[in-house]
Amino acid sequence: MSVGALTKKILQAMLFHEIWDAMKVTFKHMFHRPITFQYPREQRTIPDTHRGALALLRYDDGRERCVGCDLCEAACPSRCIKVVSAEDPSLPLQRYASEFYIDITKCVFCGYCVEACPVNALAMTKLYEFSTHDKRTLLFDKTRLYQIGERYIEDGKKYLIAHHQEKDDQMSREYRYYFPQSVLKATQAPPKHLS
Amino acid sequence: MVETVKLTIDGHHITVPKGTLVIEAARQVGVMVPHFCYHPKLKPDANCRMCLVEIEKMPKLQTACSTPAAEGMVVRTATTVVNEAHKSVLEFILANHPLDCPVCDQGGRCDLQDFSHEYTPTTSRFIEVKRVFPKEYFSPLIETQMNRCVQCLRCVRYCDEVMDVKALAPSGRGTMTEIKHFTHHELDCEFCGGCVQICPVGAITSRLSMYEFRPWMLKRADTVCTYCGDGCQITIQTKENQLIEVMSAQGAGRNNGDLCARGFFGYHVSTHPDRLQHPLIRRNGELVQATWEDALEWVAETAIRLKLAHGPNAFGGLIGARCTNEDLYLFQKFMRLVVGTNNIDSSARYGQINGVRALRRVQGTSRWTVTFDDIVSAEALLLVGTNVTETNPITGLKVKEAVKKRQATLLTIEALEPAVGTISNIANLAAHHFSVQPDGFKPAVLGLIKAVVEENLVSQPLAQKAPGYVQAVSEAVRRLSWQAIERATGSSSQSFIDATRSFTRTARAVILVGQGVLRAPDGSGLTATLLDLLLLTGHHGLPGCGVAPLAEENNDQGAVEMGAALEYLPGPSDANDQAARARLAQAWKEELPKGPGKSLMEMIEGARTGSLKAMFIVGENPAGSLPPSAGTMEALQSLDLLVCQELFLTETARLAHVVLPACSYAEKDGTFTNTEGHVQSVRHAIELIGESRPDWEILSALSVLMGYPLEYGDAKEIFKEIRSLIPGYGLLGPAPTPPRPDQAVVESYLKTGYSSGLAERYTLGERRAASGERKDFSLTLLVTQTLFHSGKFSTRAKGLLQVQAEGAFSLNPADGTRLGLAEGDRVRVSNDLGEMTTTVKLQDRVPVGLALFPEHFDQEARRLLRVSTDPATQVPYYKSASVKVEKAK
Ligand code: SF4
Ligand code: SF4
Ligand code: SF4
Ligand code: SF4
Ligand code: SF4
Ligand code: FES
Repeated sequence: MSVGALTKKILQAMLFHEIWDAMKVTFKHMFHRPITFQYPREQRTIPDTHRGALALLRYDDGRERCVGCDLCEAACPSRCIKVVSAEDPSLPLQRYASEFYIDITKCVFCGYCVEACPVNALAMTKLYEFSTHDKRTLLFDKTRLYQIGERYIEDGKKYLIAHHQEKDDQMSREYRYYFPQSVLKATQAPPKHLS
Repeated sequence: MVETVKLTIDGHHITVPKGTLVIEAARQVGVMVPHFCYHPKLKPDANCRMCLVEIEKMPKLQTACSTPAAEGMVVRTATTVVNEAHKSVLEFILANHPLDCPVCDQGGRCDLQDFSHEYTPTTSRFIEVKRVFPKEYFSPLIETQMNRCVQCLRCVRYCDEVMDVKALAPSGRGTMTEIKHFTHHELDCEFCGGCVQICPVGAITSRLSMYEFRPWMLKRADTVCTYCGDGCQITIQTKENQLIEVMSAQGAGRNNGDLCARGFFGYHVSTHPDRLQHPLIRRNGELVQATWEDALEWVAETAIRLKLAHGPNAFGGLIGARCTNEDLYLFQKFMRLVVGTNNIDSSARYGQINGVRALRRVQGTSRWTVTFDDIVSAEALLLVGTNVTETNPITGLKVKEAVKKRQATLLTIEALEPAVGTISNIANLAAHHFSVQPDGFKPAVLGLIKAVVEENLVSQPLAQKAPGYVQAVSEAVRRLSWQAIERATGSSSQSFIDATRSFTRTARAVILVGQGVLRAPDGSGLTATLLDLLLLTGHHGLPGCGVAPLAEENNDQGAVEMGAALEYLPGPSDANDQAARARLAQAWKEELPKGPGKSLMEMIEGARTGSLKAMFIVGENPAGSLPPSAGTMEALQSLDLLVCQELFLTETARLAHVVLPACSYAEKDGTFTNTEGHVQSVRHAIELIGESRPDWEILSALSVLMGYPLEYGDAKEIFKEIRSLIPGYGLLGPAPTPPRPDQAVVESYLKTGYSSGLAERYTLGERRAASGERKDFSLTLLVTQTLFHSGKFSTRAKGLLQVQAEGAFSLNPADGTRLGLAEGDRVRVSNDLGEMTTTVKLQDRVPVGLALFPEHFDQEARRLLRVSTDPATQVPYYKSASVKVEKAK
């Protein structure tokens, strides 16, 4: 080791050079805008494409969109959806989901189910806060999913548009395909199971 | 030699029999030509144009489904022109298709879906509004969604060509064609489910499983239907251990994909909520839940105690012929070795035994010498005492196929009028039909034999070989006068002569013997007489000819072959055949019990008189099937030990000391032997319900506790043992190989064997009910089987209950008018034994003087019946009674 290098080393040791070096970063940050959000007091803006809690949506006239086709169940890679379908007691031959469960603890928020849905009944919302003391409430049932859907309908619609699954409201009304509904023949007595 | 032609399909060279359709030839080289209206079961209709292919040297595209292959044809199925054609056909179909695949039960296994994925772009050029049919209520079990129909008319053609029901018809024109039932009321048909299965799209679906599943969720199990002797192969589809639907694939099993209502809609029995799930023990007079250990130990202890006190012959065993061969085999082994008695019987005693006895006596076989295929290719068919449509529907389809597609001559002798109704009627297809009263089968058969003799139609070789036999029979029938036969059958002598002539003319003749004969007094004798008829006409012994007794329960035949009868050892061999006994004793390493053994009725008698102390009853319900006048209830009540292995708490199980929960056919593995002697595999579709166990397992556990272990790892091991005893038993092939008549037995029958009982067989017998005078309102009540149920078992199937939920008293409208009764009236039916109240149903197909009541709902009707037992075969007969009918107040 040369004399110069040795002197430098001694000098640095005397002046606590490493400490100053380290503190430089700290001091620099004192003049920065803070990066940490003060969650939950502060909240971040969430993009429309965000994959948050799942919701079931209704049409504007209040009808359930979901037709109980089980396709979301088939698409889900973590097998956390269970749909029980049946004939709508009020409409002949109309299929609907009499029960609908999503085990959100298993969900990996991949959004495949939303993509699979032929009627855009499922959507993801910006809701991500559903921590709870009771794990059982994380098995979202049909009521809960529709509640989320009602509350976050705007999120849901934006999600679908952002993911190119639906056009905006005006356009979608023209564009959307409805399955034909069974119309009962007026001259016929209603079927046994409806009378 | 079948003529063949060579052709080229998409570069594959293939040789096919002349007349093969191009679409079938293509299938053979693995080229699938898309199609909607074509189906191998149906005549080509070529209405959908989906199957267009290019054939060299033909100017236009041809429909592969209606073009027969010709020598040197060069077919291309995948050229641009062909693909364009497929695309445009599909585009027209899709123009009106609702595209509601996500909510359609066919979605995922739909031909239209598959072809669309293959041939069409994802967007349509049509912007016009699609047709929407107003929905009409269709039926309780079958649902239509006509918006989805592609108008291929397969359903309509199936219902007509195969089922002969003609319940469906297209109505409207062009795209507005709609499939409807003929009249304005809801669909009323055989509910065979054929239209549901054959519809290529989701236009006709089953309401029973509607929206319960998507095809990809289903787990399949190929098994065998548990209802009738036809032994249809079915595929039970389940989802998460729930029974979802039953189907049968084209080409599968002896039924070739066809089913009847019981098979298609009757599957919910297995998961009925009333299923027994735990063993029950009687404590203080009540049946209470117990553990398997307690129940089995109690049974074993009591049985050992009773055996020490009263000897093994104080025990009796009865098993239902719905059990598998393995169950039946182990049961008789259990009774013979563990208990040590020959008091064994099964529900084959109610009729099947009669048929087997006659076959063994005359021709030395225990099975049919024909198969279903021989029925289809028969030139003449004689049906005696069987409304085959209702008892053995698939055998019925074979008969229909023979008559409708192959122009066979059909002769029927049955208590049935040829009337058009909501279900098909075999008498309508008959060239010669004899509508007789239930006691008229014998006179009618004798009429045929008399005609054979008097018209000199007796086969010459037979007359030379066995002059004594021919002479004895000829004399016997000559003694009968035509007047008496005409009086007993209501048919003219000329009609017998005509029928006999058309029967003897043919080269292949099959006689089907039904429950009307087998479950009647001297059924065995009459079956032998029918064999006489076949001998006399010279058909007997020819290939494709034979007498075929129809089994009612799915494993009636197996019950006999497994030796679950006092007179038979497994094989079946006669119980007093010393060689067979020695062979069996060697295999079992134990001497067989000696002594004659008791039949069903003798066991009941024994129980009543106190000589029988204990009974093991497996899957059989004598208290529920025999009329109360037989005193079964009281007899069973007086037993010291009654053990029932049952699915449900039946009338018999209610009397038991211990009820052990058995599992149904849907939960177990094994084999069934169908009426033609074909052994087929039963495979479990769902897990065991509750604590129920297969019957053989229960018997095996009991045998261990009773100190004579019969232990097996699974049903296959038992089957192996059966096979070691009966070589070649159940080589599970696609079709049975029927035995040939044993010439030695036939010769000895022709020499001397015929003479025993000849006099009784060749008399007309007394008329059971006078048919002339009916001023006293007397009718003959006949308890029969109907198409929609099988025994009492199926009355727990929710699907079948929607078609038929209760019994009704079916009368001919003429009798209705005479008695002043209208459809739906309540009537009081009575005789000296008791009375019942029921509803009247007027049906043209019921002969005048007869009233039918379904046996499945006969709890009340049984009160009017009396049991008589055939002295020779011990078969109890209790199906008919003379009754008085009045309007109920
Ligand atoms: S987001 Fe993915 S993991 Fe979650 S339910 Fe949907 S498909 Fe299943
Ligand atoms: S949410 Fe959509 S995919 Fe899932 S069952 Fe309902 S309609 Fe079908
Ligand atoms: S279910 Fe009825 S309509 Fe359909 S094919 Fe069978 S008999 Fe015909
Ligand atoms: S209902 Fe089905 S089988 Fe019948 S015509 Fe329509 S598509 Fe064809
Ligand atoms: S009841 Fe007989 S004919 Fe009907 S499906 Fe079952 S085995 Fe076949
Ligand atoms: S399948 Fe050939 S025309 Fe329909």
